[in-house]
Amino acid sequence: MKNTFYITLLTLLFSACIGDDIIMDRVEETLKITVQAASIAAGETFQFDARFTNNIGNTEEGRVVWGSSDESILAITEDGLATAITQGNVVVTAEVTLEDGSMLKEEMDVEVSMITVVVEAPTSRAGVIATTTFYDLEGDFTLTEINGGVSLEIADNYKATDALPGLYIYLTNNPNSISDALEIGAVTVFEGAHTYELEGVGLTDYDYVLYFCKPFRVKVGDGKIN
Amino acid sequence: MKNIFVLFSFLFFTISLQAGGGWTQPKGKGYVKISEWWLIANQHYTDQGRIDPNLTNGLFNTTVYAEYGLSDRLTAIVYFPFFSRSYVNNEISGTTGELLTAGEAINSIGDTDISLKYGLTKNSGISVAATLTLGLPIGNSSGGSQGNLQTGDGEFNQLIQIDAGTGFPLGSTNAYANVYVGFNNRNNGFSDEFRYGIEAGVTLFKDRLTAIARFIGVKSFKNGTPSAESTNTSVFANNAEFFSFSPEIAWNVKENWGFSAGVGTALSGKIIYANPSYNVGVFFKW
Repeated sequence: MKNTFYITLLTLLFSACIGDDIIMDRVEETLKITVQAASIAAGETFQFDARFTNNIGNTEEGRVVWGSSDESILAITEDGLATAITQGNVVVTAEVTLEDGSMLKEEMDVEVSMITVVVEAPTSRAGVIATTTFYDLEGDFTLTEINGGVSLEIADNYKATDALPGLYIYLTNNPNSISDALEIGAVTVFEGAHTYELEGVGLTDYDYVLYFCKPFRVKVGDGKIN
Repeated sequence: MKNIFVLFSFLFFTISLQAGGGWTQPKGKGYVKISEWWLIANQHYTDQGRIDPNLTNGLFNTTVYAEYGLSDRLTAIVYFPFFSRSYVNNEISGTTGELLTAGEAINSIGDTDISLKYGLTKNSGISVAATLTLGLPIGNSSGGSQGNLQTGDGEFNQLIQIDAGTGFPLGSTNAYANVYVGFNNRNNGFSDEFRYGIEAGVTLFKDRLTAIARFIGVKSFKNGTPSAESTNTSVFANNAEFFSFSPEIAWNVKENWGFSAGVGTALSGKIIYANPSYNVGVFFKW
């Protein structure tokens, strides 16, 4: 009887200690060429750029290695500085070696010609917010480049539960965690169109809109920024 | 609904047995129970009544519950959680193993209930009693960096409850049944509640063991502040509802003391933890 009492007491004491919850935060690595040219004038140089996010959605610098399919037409350094040598067509590749040894690769066709034509980046992206739980959350959104930042416009078909205190909205590259996410703020509109303006944020910096119950650490829903 | 409300909801439906349903304590007689109640929750009922996961939250209460017969009809009752602990777990990356967010814990006393129960019937086959309970907000209502660790809800509530109970033989054993309804008036933006319950018990082994089955329900009037507009930053904020089942056993080691153990689980609910709570205690009576 006494032993049972002590075992019960010890079990309770250990149960009252802070434990660990494992967050399944793995995401697919991504590689995007963010600054690119369709054509480069012979004799000129052009700096390509790309963004790599790892398996937890963090941006990693210095991982991308650049290459050219024909160095006699267009030479390119490992960090993406291209020199157009003579007219012709090449394939420029950006590659990252992943932890498991596999390669993540993006490529684009580039012409060496008389003029340089930079591929214009899009000025807006869009997506659909959807719940990942049993709480109401839905709606379309558009992320638009504005002077000095971006504007996140939530469409009038948006609807979110008001049953959760501490519902916050984020931009992130990992929809499974708010670590390293950009906190936009507490959600105060639960139906209809509204807009968030974010200074110092680039259009391609993040790939997801995330709704998260901050105090209780519960993901409520997300939307991929296409 | 705030954590602490969940806490006291569960406590309520595990404590109510000792309050004796429709019965009051005889004058000068009393009952004291020291118990540990705990709930470790990693899932909850949503506002749609479905179950969603959440970061693990532990709630532990070490309590004294006592009732004393001021007269044959009037019983004073106090429920005092003299040590209450609430914590949330660490968040660890399943990919890198790194600590994403450190867990937190708070320790304090908890919100305390004081009650007066008045017996409306005397020497009747059915015992009816009315109870007024005052919930004193003396716990911590906003602990932790997110304010979501609580040992009190910060609101003063007044619960009026009517119990009706009767005892009867069941074969060679003794049994009882009790029903109650109550209205819980809450302030500070919390919705008022309708409470109801039914329990039945049977004594076995020459009255040394009492086995109890208890069903408890809470319906919110949803007349308080919407959770999202509340300053209380917990997922369990307001407008919670549940229907629970709470079996319990009490073993009388001697005539004047014994042990008890019980479990409580919400069979259905809205904005309330979905994991079971447990309690163990030792009681004394005179």
